[in-house]
Amino acid sequence: MLKQLAEKDLLRLLERIATRRRLLTPQRQSDGSRLLLPWPGGLPELVGTPLQRKPTEIFFPQLELLMELDNSGDVRLPVPADKPVALLGLDHFDLAAIAFLDRFFLSRPTDDAYLRRRHDALLVGLSGLAGPQGATLPPAETCDLELILVPDKLLARPHAKLGEELLAGFTAADPTALRAIDRSPAERPATLLAAARLLQEDQVPEAFWEEIAARCIACGGCNFACPTCNCFGVQDRTFGNRTERSRLWDSCQLDAFMREAGGHNPLGTETLRTRRRVYHKLVADPLRWGELGCVACGRCDRACPTGIGMLALCEDLVRR
Amino acid sequence: MTIPASLYAPRPCRLLETSDLTPQEKLFRLQLADDTSLGHQPGQFIQLSLPGLTEAPISIASSPTRGPVFELGVRRAGRLTSALHQLAPGATIGIRGPFGRPFQLDALRSGPLLLIAGGCGLAPLRSLIQYCQDRPEEFGAVHILYGARSPADLMFKDDLAVWQRSDRLDCRTTVDRTPAASCYDGDTGLLPELLSRLDFDPTDCRAVLVGPPPMYRPVIAELRRLGLDGDRRIMLSLERQMRCGVGKCGHCSIEHLSCCSDGPVFWLEEVENLRGAL
Ligand SMILES: Cc1cc2nc3c(=O)[nH]c(=O)nc-3n(C[C@H](O)[C@H](O)[C@H](O)COP(=O)(O)OP(=O)(O)OC[C@H]3O[C@@H](n4cnc5c(N)ncnc54)[C@H](O)[C@@H]3O)c2cc1C
Ligand code: SF4
Ligand code: SF4
Ligand code: FES
Repeated sequence: MLKQLAEKDLLRLLERIATRRRLLTPQRQSDGSRLLLPWPGGLPELVGTPLQRKPTEIFFPQLELLMELDNSGDVRLPVPADKPVALLGLDHFDLAAIAFLDRFFLSRPTDDAYLRRRHDALLVGLSGLAGPQGATLPPAETCDLELILVPDKLLARPHAKLGEELLAGFTAADPTALRAIDRSPAERPATLLAAARLLQEDQVPEAFWEEIAARCIACGGCNFACPTCNCFGVQDRTFGNRTERSRLWDSCQLDAFMREAGGHNPLGTETLRTRRRVYHKLVADPLRWGELGCVACGRCDRACPTGIGMLALCEDLVRR
Repeated sequence: MTIPASLYAPRPCRLLETSDLTPQEKLFRLQLADDTSLGHQPGQFIQLSLPGLTEAPISIASSPTRGPVFELGVRRAGRLTSALHQLAPGATIGIRGPFGRPFQLDALRSGPLLLIAGGCGLAPLRSLIQYCQDRPEEFGAVHILYGARSPADLMFKDDLAVWQRSDRLDCRTTVDRTPAASCYDGDTGLLPELLSRLDFDPTDCRAVLVGPPPMYRPVIAELRRLGLDGDRRIMLSLERQMRCGVGKCGHCSIEHLSCCSDGPVFWLEEVENLRGAL
């Protein structure tokens, strides 16, 4: 049932969440950007530009200890945190990216390292007039509960049992309050879909990739900023008899990504790597998962120092 | 909450025995520390783990028909494999797996087999060859064609000698070049030439290829010329950099496929038109 939250209700809701969970809420930084950080008390910064860092890093962090090994062959797995996490203020892009990674890591064989962080996590979506300069964010429904900002009011709607429990006791809202904002569902940008079609039909000339690749400085920023990128490498650090084995984000834009010990490198040129970055999300992911691997959040476009992030590249591709 | 058994935790194995195969390759005989069988099928691989040096994918070079002891043939290629070469019997080694799609045995039982290996590729094929040796009633004629750079580089020389003596197997070797003072009595030249001289019936024949990347296209062209055309005639095993072995790390992708879990064994037609596959 749709609820209405006055400021004190929102604070009560946050307290409820925080009793059982480590609550992360958006907080504004001195440069105006917003980050998900441990809730310091008080009202969260719901309105503003998209979260600077990808929220999927909470479940798939840049560096993650997989296990400790000792020389006798014993393996010790990390213990899950005693409090599951709660993420508040996720827009539809963030939720789509989390859904993508959930399917990727939790489909068989289940990735236990991801599950250890993801299990029992609470997701609180955000929609309505919470975009930059009051822009309307489309519905954010693949979560436990959704906060919806309408003129002068904050509404809350549960999408799962957990959300319902957390909202118990708050005042019911008049459903017509939702009519004050545009509730059309989010759609992927037309240029992204058009570019995907061109790639799927193998209509992109090699020269296009060469030209884009010539501008790439191989910084890996596009991958590291992307909330659906899931590639990782493995690293060991040894302290005496004990070794920490961790995984860390890797980037397909780096030359060593696929280089084999024998020297053969299927992604041995910048051109091949640039094509792979785009092909993987727009052709390979749909073939494998039935859905584009790009949720169109724009983070890679904001990260790329040379202006060849996914959306810019697709526009260029379609224009030609 | 029950978290499933870790995808990434290696199981301890005992190193039972090592022996030299070539100056750069060694054979390792291993058994799981709990004495259970590995439960693999020919064509599968394991992720071999050494603390401090992460992991490397290594083919299982022995057949599951040979009991719980299994063997690996490993080339000294870099940090992990060099450290492995230093280990003495009694050492503990971690493994994960077996992983990957094995050779499709059902499809191989219908007619004569051409098992074609280059270099290190004989390691996974040896598992299949042993399987054919141990279950002769299930298979037709087996032709083994193995190419290496020089006679010294031929792996599994003891096995090659046994296979060459066997009435059930036809085993030939070829090397790129033969040094002057060599007692090598096999062929010289590339695999397609050896293949072109082979006498076999292409009807219902299946070929299995494992070798270095430059080997595939010329050998496939020759196989087609000899009549192995159409679907499900040529099976190959591909190599990629692999970090996880279970379809998660992204390093082994071939367009939309993961070499580690959709492969490493593929039918030719599954990968032939994928960019960068061959
Ligand atoms: C399915 C499969 C089966 C195989 N079977 C066998 C076999 O039976 N026998 C055999 O000898 N070999 C086999 N190999 C090859 C073997 O896995 C490699 O030779 C081995 O990984 C080398 O490991 P290393 O640590 O000694 O080499 P290193 O060169 O030290 O490298 C270790 C790994 O890290 C990668 N790497 C190197 N540099 C970098 C870098 N800068 N950044 C990130 N990664 C890097 C390498 O490509 C390599 O995969 C197989 C490979 C595959 C995919
Ligand atoms: S827009 Fe860029 S960062 Fe966002 S999902 Fe697509 S590829 Fe990833
Ligand atoms: S962010 Fe831009 S420059 Fe950096 S690797 Fe990605 S495409 Fe290349
Ligand atoms: S080795 Fe990690 S996805 Fe294949």
